[in-house]
Amino acid sequence: MKKTFPLAAVLIALFAASFFIVPLVATFYFSLKMTRGELGFAAYASVFNSADFLTTISYSTVASLIAIAVGAVIIVPTAYWVRLKVPHLRPVVEFISLLPLIVPPVVLVFGYIRLFGSNSYLPLTTTTAGTDVLLVLGYVVLSMPYMFRAVDNGMAAIDIATLTEAAESLGASRLRTIAFVIFPNVRAAIIAGAFLTFSISLGEFVLASLLNRPAFGPYLVQLGQDRAYEPAALAIMSFAFTWGCMALMQLFATRKPGQRWLPRLMTPAKRTTP
Amino acid sequence: MSFLSISNAVKTFGANTVVKGFDLSVEKGEFVSFLGPSGCGKTTVLRMIAGFERPTSGRITIDGRDVTDAAPNKRRIGMVFQAYALFPNMNVAGNIAFGLKIAGLSKAETDARVQEMLALIGLSHLAERFPYEMSGGQQQRVALARALAPKPQVLLLDEPLSALDAKIRVSLREEIRAIQRQLGITTVFVTHDQEEAMSISDRIVVMNGGRADQIGTPSEIYNRPKTRFVAGFVGTLNVLRAQVDSHAPHTVTVGGKTVHLPRPVETADASGTLSLALRPEALSLTPSAARDVTFEGQVQGVNFMGSVIRIRMHVGDEAISFDMFNSPDLVPPKIGQQAAAHFSSRDIFELSA
Repeated sequence: MKKTFPLAAVLIALFAASFFIVPLVATFYFSLKMTRGELGFAAYASVFNSADFLTTISYSTVASLIAIAVGAVIIVPTAYWVRLKVPHLRPVVEFISLLPLIVPPVVLVFGYIRLFGSNSYLPLTTTTAGTDVLLVLGYVVLSMPYMFRAVDNGMAAIDIATLTEAAESLGASRLRTIAFVIFPNVRAAIIAGAFLTFSISLGEFVLASLLNRPAFGPYLVQLGQDRAYEPAALAIMSFAFTWGCMALMQLFATRKPGQRWLPRLMTPAKRTTP
Repeated sequence: MSFLSISNAVKTFGANTVVKGFDLSVEKGEFVSFLGPSGCGKTTVLRMIAGFERPTSGRITIDGRDVTDAAPNKRRIGMVFQAYALFPNMNVAGNIAFGLKIAGLSKAETDARVQEMLALIGLSHLAERFPYEMSGGQQQRVALARALAPKPQVLLLDEPLSALDAKIRVSLREEIRAIQRQLGITTVFVTHDQEEAMSISDRIVVMNGGRADQIGTPSEIYNRPKTRFVAGFVGTLNVLRAQVDSHAPHTVTVGGKTVHLPRPVETADASGTLSLALRPEALSLTPSAARDVTFEGQVQGVNFMGSVIRIRMHVGDEAISFDMFNSPDLVPPKIGQQAAAHFSSRDIFELSA
């Protein structure tokens, strides 16, 4: 039986999508019009030629990568331990991990500035390096809900407790179990969490601005106030970047162990099937 | 001295005592099954041997070494789980090599041992496969090879066949037993399936409520069950209430019939009541010289089960069931019909509790 074409559904979907697609297309079109009378990538060239762009984006990239590393080192063992030893506390830990979504970043950063200010026992804000540390820690906190969720879901997908017992019965220590059994099996989840963390902290404005660090977020805002075409070009690029991240996450998440990224060039020896 | 010994093991979870004083000695190379319903403590005892649970009190020794407080990774045990628990990130060879690498074997030694193990389970052609590319039966064989590769002192099997379908279950249990005999490894096998336990074990420990009700060979457990629980759990059983004659301890009244037992009654209570048991296969519709007792009654049910036909019958106020072998020209009795079942008084046994 031939299905009738779902016209109404498609129209509704297109109408809803237009709210998203039309501004995007308009922005892209506008970003191409920097040179009067012709379409071109002059705005993009201008962005890439700006020294500020390069310094701020590299600063933010480094800060985000450190935040990912610190976050993974804190979150992975925590999620593992909670699932293995205190599963009844998991809702509590999950709630704590969600707190950054409830407490606004402004409140968080003012808390930091008061707590680690010049009259504190740990006056981090008085030095540049100290403020950088605060910024990275702030990113770790902001990304916690996403990181914890991604890692915890990854651990739910495999039987952590039995795999741990299997490894221990084969003589493995706890550290070895984490390194060779648990970590490789949640690697896809950690990478997914890492991409989420990266996309959040790369363009983050509030923390970077109030801590007065030369990050990418404040640069974007400044550019938006000063220029016309470059912000549009940056917006399009950041969209492309986010989608790239999502595509990579998908790739990592669906890859099975032993599967190759690309088909082999040479045909391997045929495996006999039973 | 026994190879694996558990003495007076007790395990309490909060207010709940799961294992209540468990004793067992296993000889080197012996295959012992823990049989019991879920919640009887059989898995907890196994996990105490493995070191995943610490006994609340009691001692466990392996080859003379007290391992009660040893960590699981210091016990040299091999364990196979119901859920296979293969490492998803490693292929078959990687899984089998895991324990060998930890033991510090060289690459060449590891490779040789992996090949040896693959040949043992007959999966040499699947060395490169990953767990998700294999059937449950294949995965469980790999899990067995992985557990055996580092030459453990004791092999622990925690319901390894329960997740498999019926045909594979039977063939794999025979394979497990064959490998166990070949390697002569001391093995403890946990199951809730009495047929599985009977067919595979040197000895069976029937567990009930955190205790070992009876420990014995499969034929001892089946033919001379000590308690009503063991008798009922292992195979099907007719339990009959009987009254002993106060003047003749050999003579009982059961189902309105007077029966002379070969042994004097030992377990009657003050009023002379006791429980007698009779296996379904002891009864027959055909009389013979050896079958000295006959029960007459009405047929209540006829169940065709393939190779046998199970018949239920009312005798006085007792219900008994018995089996007859199927053959194409056999005419089974009809429901409601009167029938006579014959058996030997020597097949009757007493139940103590």
